[in-house]
Amino acid sequence: MLTQESIATIIVSVIVAAAVLLPLFALVVSSFQVMDASGFSTTWGFENYTALFNDRVIHKAFINTLLISSGSTILATFLGVSLAWINARTNCPWRDRLEPYNLIPFFLSPFVGAIAWHNLASPRIGLLNSWARDYLGVPGYLINVDNIYGVIWVTGIFFTPLVYLFVVGSLRRMDPSLEDSARTTGAGLLRTTMTVTLPLVAPAILSGAIIVFVTSAGEFGVPFKLGAPYGWQTLTTQIFSKAVGDDANYYLGSAMSMSLGIITAFFIWVQQRYIAPRSFTTVTGKGFRPNVIELGRWKWFAFGYNISFIVFAVVLPILSLIIVSLHPVWQGRIIPSAMSLNNYVKTLFFWRPDSIQAATNGIYNSFILAFLGATIAMILSLVVSHMIHRTKGFGARVLDFLCVVPIGFPGIVLAMGVLVTYIKTPIYATLWIILLGYITRFFPYGQRNISSVMLAISEELDQSSRMAGASWFTTLRRITIPLLKPGIFAGWVLLFIIFLRELSISIILYTSGTETLSVGVYYLSNYENEALTAALSMTQTVILLVCILIFRRVAGREALTA
Amino acid sequence: MIAGNSAGVMADTSADDRYVEVQGLVKLFGTDRAVDDVSFSVPKGRFLTLLGPSGCGKTTTLMSIAGLHSVDAGRISVGGTVYTAPAEGQFMPPERRDIGMVFQSYAIWPHMTVAQNVAYPLEIRKIDRAEIDQRVHEVLHLVGLGTMADKLATQLSGGQQQRAALARAIVSRPRLLLFDEPLSNLDLKLREQMRLELKRIQHEVGITSIYVTHDQAEALVMSDEIIVMSKGRIQQKGGPREIYAQPVNAYVSNFIGVANLLKGRVVTATSAGRGEVEIAAGGRTARLPCLLRAGMTPGTEVVLSVRPENVAASRQNGGSACLEGEVIEAIFLGNSVDCRVRWGDFEWKVTAHPRAGLKAGQKVYLRLDPEHTLAVHP
Repeated sequence: MLTQESIATIIVSVIVAAAVLLPLFALVVSSFQVMDASGFSTTWGFENYTALFNDRVIHKAFINTLLISSGSTILATFLGVSLAWINARTNCPWRDRLEPYNLIPFFLSPFVGAIAWHNLASPRIGLLNSWARDYLGVPGYLINVDNIYGVIWVTGIFFTPLVYLFVVGSLRRMDPSLEDSARTTGAGLLRTTMTVTLPLVAPAILSGAIIVFVTSAGEFGVPFKLGAPYGWQTLTTQIFSKAVGDDANYYLGSAMSMSLGIITAFFIWVQQRYIAPRSFTTVTGKGFRPNVIELGRWKWFAFGYNISFIVFAVVLPILSLIIVSLHPVWQGRIIPSAMSLNNYVKTLFFWRPDSIQAATNGIYNSFILAFLGATIAMILSLVVSHMIHRTKGFGARVLDFLCVVPIGFPGIVLAMGVLVTYIKTPIYATLWIILLGYITRFFPYGQRNISSVMLAISEELDQSSRMAGASWFTTLRRITIPLLKPGIFAGWVLLFIIFLRELSISIILYTSGTETLSVGVYYLSNYENEALTAALSMTQTVILLVCILIFRRVAGREALTA
Repeated sequence: MIAGNSAGVMADTSADDRYVEVQGLVKLFGTDRAVDDVSFSVPKGRFLTLLGPSGCGKTTTLMSIAGLHSVDAGRISVGGTVYTAPAEGQFMPPERRDIGMVFQSYAIWPHMTVAQNVAYPLEIRKIDRAEIDQRVHEVLHLVGLGTMADKLATQLSGGQQQRAALARAIVSRPRLLLFDEPLSNLDLKLREQMRLELKRIQHEVGITSIYVTHDQAEALVMSDEIIVMSKGRIQQKGGPREIYAQPVNAYVSNFIGVANLLKGRVVTATSAGRGEVEIAAGGRTARLPCLLRAGMTPGTEVVLSVRPENVAASRQNGGSACLEGEVIEAIFLGNSVDCRVRWGDFEWKVTAHPRAGLKAGQKVYLRLDPEHTLAVHP
């Protein structure tokens, strides 16, 4: 029976399956093609994979990736759990006001964070180091972020909100009587925390930690800025050089992408299959007033700790961007007399002859991509969510699975897949291929936003419309969509933000003329100077901050926990 | 002419008798037979209730009629139109079935006002605005929401939402009304009031209705006919009085109202459907005169079913037909006394008159009314 519903289901399933599976399939095929020495023909074989162990550079990049991911995960988990606990469970002063600022790094670009920290703590031109030299008389430099520790530091603080969001929700939704009953049996505060609270929150902590590990492993911008130029290659920076560099080798790049993708997909599978379901068995959905612990004098310590995080993760980076961007050339010292807005003129005023095209194109293209991408992805998400939750059977289960797959693969891996799939088609070297990459990688986030709202809406609301005589499509238009509006809008803004700062997909798929905002930043950082880079970074940051403001207005904090 | 007319009327009458017709309905959930060969019909304008505990298949049957899911076998037709018949490759989508439905959660759309909710089915049918307004106005008055038209659905109480849902279901004058436990989310007082209200409105608009509930009191009060279901199968179909007074088996007897149920065996049977059943409990035995169902012969294993109000308890020995027992609990309820009387290892539930003056620990004699003592199938 070809009803509207079944036709739509078939079309959407085919589109989603093609979008998600084709790149992965192409990646697998391509990873088994070995390029010969001449670089013109290929043979089948496993040599691309053995290169992971035999090729010294790639092997080292693999080890670095593991070290960076582990380090960032430890740092982000420590910061995320402690900040979440302070905000959800203690009487830390002004904790309600602090929360939005704790989340800001979630929305900003880690790549820009790396640029900002480079300007703050690079040995020669770092602002903090030059202050240390001038005012403290430190010889040489105080701190150096141009190494693996810098990569871990920036990645860690920028992904702290991921852990924070998981844990703070779990701490807030926990039934306080679970802890109260432990206290009544005679267990002290510390004992209750260790034996009741912590085990109950453990699945949330573990989920957050896994997400950070996977996201760090797929992060390109930070190691590209702080690691690769100083001899700390990672898998992502190696994949990048195999995709666009002088020694381009898509086949080797595919194998590296597959290796990275298998690791991340495995972790995401473990998280989805074993850890995420457990966090619901102990934490009910009811709203509770959680137990608040009186910290006494220590509350000021907690407050200071939280403020420090905000200073290091948000305030200092943004300050450094502003300062650096006002100088014609950044040499590590503030020179008030030299300050001007010239860098902004060059990066923003596209009609001027001295404007830098990569930057102005980037702004223009990113807005188009973000607007179109968010809109298409949300339409797709809406239909997919509807099918997953409102129709039962095989098709729904397949779609549900397809929506998790992209989450398991870092953007740069999926982008490699998209590149080898479509390189011989007309969409290659257009904005469309980037759009395709964006939507494929990120529509699951939108889908989750809608699903969470849809699960809260009774199916009977849809059914009663059908019984009133409305077709499937009319029901979608007049009942389902209006009811889902908050979820749709929250998802749209979230994707808009993600697309505006996206780097690791764009960097693989862009060509001259299709730069995005983050690619523009990359271009300036690579071919121009730090001051111009800071100006465009600042522009991007301001745009993102405005979007966050809008997002908080319409969505509230709940919509973030995708 | 006259002959033709009467023939026409005859044909109509027989069609009206089987206005809704469900034949051999089967619905599988995996290997579980949620609905297992269910057949029944509903005459035009009547009120039928599907009654049973959760998981008995009543809601699944209703959803099949609504077309909200497919079935594995069987045939559903309303007024001669085939709705669902997998063997014939027929499945009419729900929106074309012209059915009004009231859901358990009310399903009043929160983004519309009451009037917009009720107008929706008419807008779908592309009726012109003036008539929509007119009919919405009428139906809101009918259900007692005349002053609430411009309220948002979220501003209504549970009972008011229920009325709005009913208004929305009947406004398009559908061929059939379906109710899926519509009163189960209301508190007791409101529920009792809404039962009568629903019945009145259904009677007034005269739309054939199928009602699903697990509440036997609701079924008895509202229905023209009741179907008792269990494990996907029909146990009994009949009017409320019939179901209560003449249950066919122990399941129905136990589900509807309260009954004393004892296993026994037929010892004598007469052609008039009467006979004697021997019962035993903890060393005590008795032969009791009772009504037998057709086909019961000496030796048939049966269950004896007696309602508490049909057991007379007296402190005087009334003769050999009496069962001698001991009162173990007597709860005074004002107009009656609920007693538990031990006889062997069986406890009889007895509704006694307060004047009998029964108290715990007393010896008591029970007499069962043979006209209301039923042998039913186990």
